Amino acid sequence: MKTTLYIDRESIVHRLHPTLKIFGLFIAFWSIYWIDNPLTLLPFIAVELAVAAFIHAGENIRRFRWFFVLIVLPTMITWLISYRRGTPIINMPLLHVSKESILFGLGKGMKVAALVLGSVLFLSSTKVEELSVGLSRLGLPYRIGFTITLAFRLVPLFIESALTVVDAQRLRGYDFDAGGPFERIGKYVPVIIPVFMGALRKANNMAMALEARGFGRSNLPTSFIEYRMHRRDAGAFAVLIGVGAISFMLYWTGYGAIPGASIHS
Amino acid sequence: MKSDPINSDLAPAVSVEDLSFTYAGNETPALREVNLIQRGGQMIGIMGASGAGKSTLAKVLNRIVPELEGGDFRGVVRISGKPIADAHVCDLATEIGMVFQDFESQLFSTTVAHEVAFAMERVGMPRDQILARLAPALEAVGLRGFEHRDPTTLSGGQKQRLAIASVLALRPRVIVLDEPTTDLDPEGRDEVFVLIRRLREDGLSLIVIEHEADELRQCDRIVLLRAGSIIVDGTPAEVMPRLELLEECGVNPPSLDRVVQMLGIEGHPANIDDAESAIRKRLPRMPSVPRAPATSANRAVVESKPLLEVENISFAYPDGPKVLDGISLCIGPGEFLAIVGQNGSGKTTLAKMTVGLIAPDAGSILLDGRDRASLRPAETAGQIGYVFQNPDHQIFAPTVEEEVKFGPRNFGLEDDEIERRCDEVLRAVALDNHRGSDPFLLSKGQRQRLAVASVLALRPRLLILDEPTTGLDYREQRKMMTLVSDLNRGGVAIVMITHTPWLVAEYAHRVVLMRAGRKLFDGPVREFFIEDELLRTSSFQPPEVTTLGRRFGIVALSAAELADWLRGRGA
Repeated sequence: MKTTLYIDRESIVHRLHPTLKIFGLFIAFWSIYWIDNPLTLLPFIAVELAVAAFIHAGENIRRFRWFFVLIVLPTMITWLISYRRGTPIINMPLLHVSKESILFGLGKGMKVAALVLGSVLFLSSTKVEELSVGLSRLGLPYRIGFTITLAFRLVPLFIESALTVVDAQRLRGYDFDAGGPFERIGKYVPVIIPVFMGALRKANNMAMALEARGFGRSNLPTSFIEYRMHRRDAGAFAVLIGVGAISFMLYWTGYGAIPGASIHS
Repeated sequence: MKSDPINSDLAPAVSVEDLSFTYAGNETPALREVNLIQRGGQMIGIMGASGAGKSTLAKVLNRIVPELEGGDFRGVVRISGKPIADAHVCDLATEIGMVFQDFESQLFSTTVAHEVAFAMERVGMPRDQILARLAPALEAVGLRGFEHRDPTTLSGGQKQRLAIASVLALRPRVIVLDEPTTDLDPEGRDEVFVLIRRLREDGLSLIVIEHEADELRQCDRIVLLRAGSIIVDGTPAEVMPRLELLEECGVNPPSLDRVVQMLGIEGHPANIDDAESAIRKRLPRMPSVPRAPATSANRAVVESKPLLEVENISFAYPDGPKVLDGISLCIGPGEFLAIVGQNGSGKTTLAKMTVGLIAPDAGSILLDGRDRASLRPAETAGQIGYVFQNPDHQIFAPTVEEEVKFGPRNFGLEDDEIERRCDEVLRAVALDNHRGSDPFLLSKGQRQRLAVASVLALRPRLLILDEPTTGLDYREQRKMMTLVSDLNRGGVAIVMITHTPWLVAEYAHRVVLMRAGRKLFDGPVREFFIEDELLRTSSFQPPEVTTLGRRFGIVALSAAELADWLRGRGA
């Protein structure tokens, strides 16, 4: 089973300096943050999709399709219901739907989708080693950076072990689906304990293997791959600054907001 | 640690003096008064039961004990003549390399090249030196051309070889391998042991911890540990013939030594040829030309209404290759079937399908004549039980008793019925003295038996065991298998997935060999072990006694059987 999102390609995006890729992820978040209007968001999402096509990340987006559905739809619905301003189309004690609330819900959902998409693109084009290098170039202590990257490796292992444990307990006649919502959470004790104990054991094994390979000997480990800034990095930097500025301008001029409805109004 | 090259070459690679160690919070010492000297270029095999102190001894050599796992430490350890008491684990990485059993936990990188570079980067090696050492390290373990592969996509054997490469790249003088092949399939085991042989020829000092004695015959010395003390330290020829002592120490003695001793022959056969000539000398009237293998009677296969009928099933993961490709299989009541084949051949997928955890893309499965697809996994737990490979994937309760009662409770059985079943299965797995114990404090073998007990409590008529003996020492393996064959005699049909040839030979009645999702063989054990071509292409070595026996014209499944037969013929 493939446990990372990284797609081994030699695209320009892949070859960017790790620090610049982290900056790119920051700009994606920054740009999306300022904009609520779904129409204004569209071009930003289009850019992300274009990058996705360029680096052949389609497979990863497909892997996350349920995630998109499960996160984006509830976000939309929650905001659609809780946003109670604007000229109502439907106005009932519990349900208030206006043109603004539809746009607002849609916008929030798209924002979350765009953030997830940006992260998927980042992980599709960045090796965890690069993330570690990039973070340390940004001044984060090496050990902390490494711990973060290690987490990326561990999460899929834990998910795999959790799925096995669920299977094992189901085969002993355990019914995870019975009972109310609170009861159901309690029902996961027979899963959490084995996964947790397994995680402790794995972490202990990893600590031994890490130290035995010299981890901790040097606070500034060398890197067998040289990361240098190139002209393409300068170009990408300029583009990213431009995108970030456009987003902020859109917000500043009011094009990023939903017409006739601001959350502050 | 810079050291004078001349001095360090003359000094022993490893020396351990009067070493005793007790883990913090423990009463009994893990090591007692251990003395060990390894000259450069020697290969030492360390054997002993689980808990005898093998891993502790290994960890002492690079200071994991006591630096990461603390306790009361006494004695002196020297690597290349230098005492290491003041060194840190990470400082010793360039002096002594460590390879562990759990290869998943030793790989940290996203490409093979990064993985090999990992340790070199950590010790601050300059970039050009790393690049210069990368290729030779990969070459040494046979992974050239894999530089850009994601390690998670490698086979178990390749992963373990990669872990060895990343240690080799630091060019340590000593490499310690702690049960490096326990989690591997036969092909992976072969790969790793071939590599170990090559490293030894290159002059590296090696310490290998193993509990299959067969694999350690090539060592210069064998060290046997019991309860933290070295019981014997000698050449394989001195140690291997001491069958009783080996068994007492939880080690499976080489089967060839068993046969020759049963025939009253002195000495230690280094290989099958040796054993054959020793036997022919003792029994000169044995026919000298091997005849066609005898088809001795097999243990009967019960013919009756099948418990499980698998009809032409196929399965593929989304976007993946076929995992199962047109498999049919019939299992009757009381059978004992072993499923063998490389990892990735589809064994576990097939097993999971029979219990309803995965649905086939095509084909059908009938359980007691009913369509599996119409039954939920939990519904059939009373008919077909599944013991996962790792008992720690299911154990969660605070006591042994509670763990066993979990299943019957899920089925809403009456309290006194639950009590009765709990008593019954705990007695069956010899854990009735541990009812109130915390399962996490039991040994691996006990936890494995507890997992079996908790599945047995549902009284299945068919029990599937996925590699039930992995990671157990010989004594625990025998206990587990005695339990399984007792169950079988009591009428429970057994399907056992395994990589261990002698388990197949001594316990199973029927074998299914799988490769790439297809069934290549399905028949009695004795017929399986004469399928030379199939066995070879599947890297499944018959037990050495079986191979030896065939040179005399019998397909023997155990040392005792072969010795009896030879005595009868040769006398």
